[in-house]
Amino acid sequence: MDWIAVGLCADVPARTVVPRRVLNTDLAIWCSTAGDFHAWGDRCPHRGMRLSHGFVRGETLSCIYHGWTYDGDGACVSIPAHPDLVPPKSICAAQYACQVADEAIWVALQPTQAPVPVLGARRAIRSMDVALPAQTVAAKLKQPFAPVIALGGVHDISLALQPSSDADCLLHAFAAPDQDRKTVSHALEHMRNELEAAA
Amino acid sequence: MNQSIKDYWYPVGLLSAIDAPHQTLLLGADITVGRKGGTFWVKDAAGNALPTIERFGHLWTCPGTPNGDLFTIPEADNPGRQLVDVGSVRVKCSPLRAVENFLDIAHFPFVHTDILGAEPHTEVERYNVNIREDANEVWATKVKFFQPQAAKSAEGGITTEYMYRVASPTCAVLYKTCPPRPGEWDVITLFVQPLNEEWCEVWPWMALYDDDSTMAEMVSFQQLIFMQDRSILENQIPAKLPLDPGMEAPTQADLTSVVYRRWLKKIGYFYGAQLVAA
Repeated sequence: MDWIAVGLCADVPARTVVPRRVLNTDLAIWCSTAGDFHAWGDRCPHRGMRLSHGFVRGETLSCIYHGWTYDGDGACVSIPAHPDLVPPKSICAAQYACQVADEAIWVALQPTQAPVPVLGARRAIRSMDVALPAQTVAAKLKQPFAPVIALGGVHDISLALQPSSDADCLLHAFAAPDQDRKTVSHALEHMRNELEAAA
Repeated sequence: MNQSIKDYWYPVGLLSAIDAPHQTLLLGADITVGRKGGTFWVKDAAGNALPTIERFGHLWTCPGTPNGDLFTIPEADNPGRQLVDVGSVRVKCSPLRAVENFLDIAHFPFVHTDILGAEPHTEVERYNVNIREDANEVWATKVKFFQPQAAKSAEGGITTEYMYRVASPTCAVLYKTCPPRPGEWDVITLFVQPLNEEWCEVWPWMALYDDDSTMAEMVSFQQLIFMQDRSILENQIPAKLPLDPGMEAPTQADLTSVVYRRWLKKIGYFYGAQLVAA
């Protein structure tokens, strides 16, 4: 899996940061004031504090522990304890490739030339966690294990799979644009209950 | 486990709160704490009595062979101080991370916003840190920081002066400018009971000059501060304190932490520490 969906754009508005886990790697996903998305390792290089607890100001993300501030390229640009110090270039947050497509945020943990998967003429419905590994979810749905699986059906649902850990995953669901959001959402919950019950 | 780690004294409860026997953990092992009449006791899982000391409002025990007396805090004996039994805060973190956070001032404006610090007063000036070989303690002196409300008794912002003392690997003492009594120091301690390497019971205790605040107010103030710290301590990666350079990026403001880690390495205290750089 080159590109993995980690959330819907609507769930990470400008000036917010959220934690996400992909293949056991902890990420901080954040959106700048201008609307640029970033995927970083969820760890401030200073004292290891999770950056997903931090705060966004303008085009920067700051750690909540000591206010160390990182620009859009992950470089530390401010250490409040030493206001006159220009931080060494070696201090930077771990960055991952991050793209936005089809109302979703996509991350590649390894460098890749592959294009971001296409969801076609569907719109984002919601993200939903399942207490099963992503491979198990794909197998139970009789689908190949891939970044996106197309279920079709009356709602024409597609699911982007986010393997979080060895025990759970996050599904990002999309459906035909004429489908009622609430109805599809309930159908998805029903599907999850059946998946988990059959475990 | 390094034998010497079992030979330190550890806090296991508030004297004022120990009554019926209750079970807790110390260094990953079950112990039972109780009292019979006026005598406090601690037993290990096999029922053996462990040595005890009653000091600073807390009961202390040692699961090994004590390598000396528990440290003292002579200033706390001065008459006129309020002795505040804050009570415990249980934190899912390394006991050493808890102590290190207590030694840190640069986080005040961001974690204790508008109480112990506030932007733009974020600068940490150079201070002194050394290992006192005679007492085998770490001391940081001439630490100064601007605080909007340094204590329950403080009115408005003041530049507060601090001294930090690491008296044992899991216990630290803070001496702090005392707003109502210039020239005296308030004493605030952090006694950490290591439940295991990534879980601890933190027992703050204070000896303050404060004739205005009620005991309840002083306890609430300190509990608020520690709950704010807890949100940090439970979210640091890795959970154990890295003693080798390379994993983290200290600056001059972190000198106390740097020397604390160096001292832990020197004395071979690795419980709750991570030695190999990832």
